[in-house]
Amino acid sequence: MSAEPHIEQPQTTSAAHNLLASVGEPILMIARTVREIFEMFSLTLYYVVRGRKRWPAIFEQMYDVGNRSILFIAVTLGFLGMILIFQAGNQALQITGDLQVLGGLFLQLLLREFAPTIAAMMIATRVATGMAAQIGSMVVTEQVDALQMCAAQPVDYLVVPRFIACTIMMVILTIFAVLVAYVCGAFTAYMAFNLNPRTFIDLGFITWFDPIIGLVKAFAYGMAIPIIACHAGLNVFGGSEGVGRATTQAVVNASLAVVILDFIISGLGYVVLGLL
Amino acid sequence: MQSIAAKLIRPLHGVGQSFNYWAFQIGGLCILMARIMVNMLPWRWQFDGPETWRNLYRVGVKSFPIVAVTALLTGAIMVIQSGLYIEQYGAYGLLGWGAGYTILREIGPIMIGLMFSGRVGANNTAELGTMKVTDQIDALRALAIDPIGYLVMPRFLAMIIMMFLLVVVGNFTALVGGAITSQLLLGVNMKLFAWSVITYVFLDDLFHGLIKAVAFGFAIAIISCHFGLNTQGGAVGVGRAVNASVVGSAIAIFVLDYIITFASM
Repeated sequence: MSAEPHIEQPQTTSAAHNLLASVGEPILMIARTVREIFEMFSLTLYYVVRGRKRWPAIFEQMYDVGNRSILFIAVTLGFLGMILIFQAGNQALQITGDLQVLGGLFLQLLLREFAPTIAAMMIATRVATGMAAQIGSMVVTEQVDALQMCAAQPVDYLVVPRFIACTIMMVILTIFAVLVAYVCGAFTAYMAFNLNPRTFIDLGFITWFDPIIGLVKAFAYGMAIPIIACHAGLNVFGGSEGVGRATTQAVVNASLAVVILDFIISGLGYVVLGLL
Repeated sequence: MQSIAAKLIRPLHGVGQSFNYWAFQIGGLCILMARIMVNMLPWRWQFDGPETWRNLYRVGVKSFPIVAVTALLTGAIMVIQSGLYIEQYGAYGLLGWGAGYTILREIGPIMIGLMFSGRVGANNTAELGTMKVTDQIDALRALAIDPIGYLVMPRFLAMIIMMFLLVVVGNFTALVGGAITSQLLLGVNMKLFAWSVITYVFLDDLFHGLIKAVAFGFAIAIISCHFGLNTQGGAVGVGRAVNASVVGSAIAIFVLDYIITFASM
């Protein structure tokens, strides 16, 4: 703003150039990040197939991802189930006055959409920040450099156990999330609308398609979240400020990946269901 | 004998430790809220205009692209999910109602709130935490500058205002995304979708979502500032603080959502 006139001059002449640069730079950055994430993904898959499995490390990560998220998932998904049944029940009472199908349709929607996606958003916040912070502080304190000095590939040593653990645990946590949300929904339906839980628990609407698409989503999220978090963690530079930046980047990228994957898999599921 | 007693006491030790942790965090949140309220009083009012303006830009404009992408895809997903039922019954006129009602009331504020807590809340905690571990906050106190007035108030105001505005924009973007998806994937005309939204979705639904947006912005601001200002232990501590901040924000979003939904019925 307080620039000298002789500095102002070249800026005004290259306004179009600046505009193009300001548009192109984020695009190039996004393209670079996506390419790095896919490179890391293929490298991880290679080590998953060819590398040595470190079962103690995998179990430790499974405990960290799964057991320590149980309470968090239970609280958030329980409240989600109560909210959805409350809104849907009120709307159904106003329009049809009939709550017979509430439980069946709720279970179908939970399996298809809400349980995998919201649980993955929760894991993306809790686990992705944790992984990025842990690996980021390893990078900052030069422990990753030390690993490379010992001829241990960081992707093999750090990313692969997290990848396997998170993929397994994401599927299990999704099943847990469906159960918690459904039980809380049944409780709300009983308390708010006096709907008998025997009427609420209705498996009549479920086809083979619903659990399969839910598990496919959970599997895809479980693979995407650790890769993105470890990518953010391994690219840290510059002390505690860098660790903070990496955790923010990890949670944003992981949540965006969940939403994008959800869109892709839902769209594909819709097309596949239309073909059948 | 000694070891048996120690083994019996160990679980109690853990219970007490987590009780202390939760008591510290909840008490800290309440104290921070009270200090912000005291700062809001007319005779204590400190308003740092340029700093607030800078934070509004950082919080709102910088997270606009992420919110827009999330909202666009969320609208598309909601249309796909309700489209499966709409096709079953052939009631294409209800598609806009199904998607619009869920987006405006629930999914729009929740998804935008989660993205906001990830983008802005985490960033804020990291920034304040870095300041704390590098002793910058103590330096401010040594210069007789109140960290609440100088650091927390601008962020608090910026987050509430910008969360509200981002949910307004995000709801609109989600409906646009839904309309595009209904045209391209389901073959339902965009005009029919828009007519259905305008006819069946009421202003109440929009306001219900906007009240939630303000509440989420308030919660994210308080929680992220609290965890940032209580960071301990270097770079590792900053990471841990960010983790605690986003987890607390997510829990607060769902609990507040339930309370507002329950209270408004």
